[in-house]
Amino acid sequence: MQPIEAILFEPVGCLAEFPPEPFQEIAAQLFGRRRQPSKSGSRSYWHLLNLMEAASETCMVETLEMEAVAGASLYEDVLPAASELRSLGVKLLIASSLSSSAVRHFLEARGLAGFFGEVWTRDNSGGIKAAALKSALATTRSERAIYLTDTAEGLKAAKSAGINAVLMMNDPDEARRLALRNPAGGIVSLHELPDFVRVVVAQLASSQEVG
Amino acid sequence: MKQISIYRPTSVEEAVQILTEQGPKAAVYAGGTDLLIRLKNRLTQAPTQLIDIKRIHNLRYIKEDSGGGVRIGAATTLTEIAESDLLKSRYPMLVQAVNMISSPELRNASTLGGDLLQEVWCQYLRGGYACWRNGGYMCYGAIGDNSYYHSAMGGRLCYAVYPGDVATALIPFDARVKLATPGGTKELSIEQLVPGDLLVDGRIQSHVVRYNEILTEVTIPTPKPSLRASFEKLRPRGVWDFAMASLAMSLQLRSGAIEDARVVFGGIAGKPLRETTVENFLKGKTLKEELGGQAAGLALAGAAPLKYNATKIDMAKGLLQSGIAKLNAAN
Repeated sequence: MQPIEAILFEPVGCLAEFPPEPFQEIAAQLFGRRRQPSKSGSRSYWHLLNLMEAASETCMVETLEMEAVAGASLYEDVLPAASELRSLGVKLLIASSLSSSAVRHFLEARGLAGFFGEVWTRDNSGGIKAAALKSALATTRSERAIYLTDTAEGLKAAKSAGINAVLMMNDPDEARRLALRNPAGGIVSLHELPDFVRVVVAQLASSQEVG
Repeated sequence: MKQISIYRPTSVEEAVQILTEQGPKAAVYAGGTDLLIRLKNRLTQAPTQLIDIKRIHNLRYIKEDSGGGVRIGAATTLTEIAESDLLKSRYPMLVQAVNMISSPELRNASTLGGDLLQEVWCQYLRGGYACWRNGGYMCYGAIGDNSYYHSAMGGRLCYAVYPGDVATALIPFDARVKLATPGGTKELSIEQLVPGDLLVDGRIQSHVVRYNEILTEVTIPTPKPSLRASFEKLRPRGVWDFAMASLAMSLQLRSGAIEDARVVFGGIAGKPLRETTVENFLKGKTLKEELGGQAAGLALAGAAPLKYNATKIDMAKGLLQSGIAKLNAAN
């Protein structure tokens, strides 16, 4: 792994626990798809993205997304981790399939807007899933960036965009399954991200010394 | 097996010099009960140059110092510590703890320094998973079977527990260590020696000893006559297992009242965990059995168990209650 200069975040599941119901409701209202409800906001969100990918209809989505944003519980370690990463000189970006207004509202309402130098959404990147990642990587070297995700779909999106995916291990059982997909790494808490950056640098320095 | 080289210095200075020349791929080889297993496990982080310090004669001793305390050379075996009459009379709790480490065969080979600085025994690390300590970027213990070898008090990248019992048992005596370094001798408390996971010379480890430093000696101050100490350890098998939870405790008594206290848990965190909240609670109280329940209620407020190891917290609290009850009964 190269030194990490940028970290791309999907807010859903990586910065906050989103309620699953609004995403499930969008899936039901727009696509008529009601399936076994998941307790995970992330899985419901990525399931919805799968449906959106297969359809062109996206109206009404935003209203319910705003509901999800309003109900999202910010992880307590986001602010200290973001502050420390910024002091390390790491560029923080949002790369999300949410709408621009939903992401903006999420960041502003929680005092996070100042931390993220770039915000890529389905609106300004022109698509969902890997589209936002690819847009973000236009200004960032992919080999020096990581993308934080907590779902299999997120790992796939990262692979498609050509960026190292780091697993946000929110649910140990799910994380154990996802670890089999060979993510570049995994963290239990955002508190660990600054250490992640330091370890990569230290290991590279150490291997160069040995070499 | 990796190709390895063995160096056999005859002085600490020579050993430090070789370690400095060889860099982080070199490591001190004494008892071998941890190091050789790391090599056998084919761990990425296992050293390729072994600095065998067994021929350095002035590292293996147990001596009374001029102030009435005891100095123990880092290459002293655990059996020698367990059989020392001096230690039995001065620090019976330490001897009790050492007798509960592993098996007699392993205690014959294991050294004091090796026990203090041993690598964690997480099954994922030892099984060759590419975890934080083995060239990777993930803790498999955090998401896998963490019932035994993993922290119930949170972690920092690696969630394995610090496995040594000796450090846990030495903290209540305010013991210190000496390190030989290229710049001279360095002295640290045990808590400073094993502060929990940190990045040293590009790798994650539980202790602060750099690649070119050697732990040479442990010094233990004279215990006051009214010091009472106990060591408790819970493990899946009665012999030869690491602690799922352990407790080393000392109480300084005056006329039945607790003047000072040390409460240190092992096996539940990435370091020997000193529980100062309980220590402060105990100070000034009259020693009685009921204190155990109250202390247990205050202990480990910062617990953050993983999926399968919440029971470690219950075990640790139970040890605290039984430890206080034992010290009260012996008073």
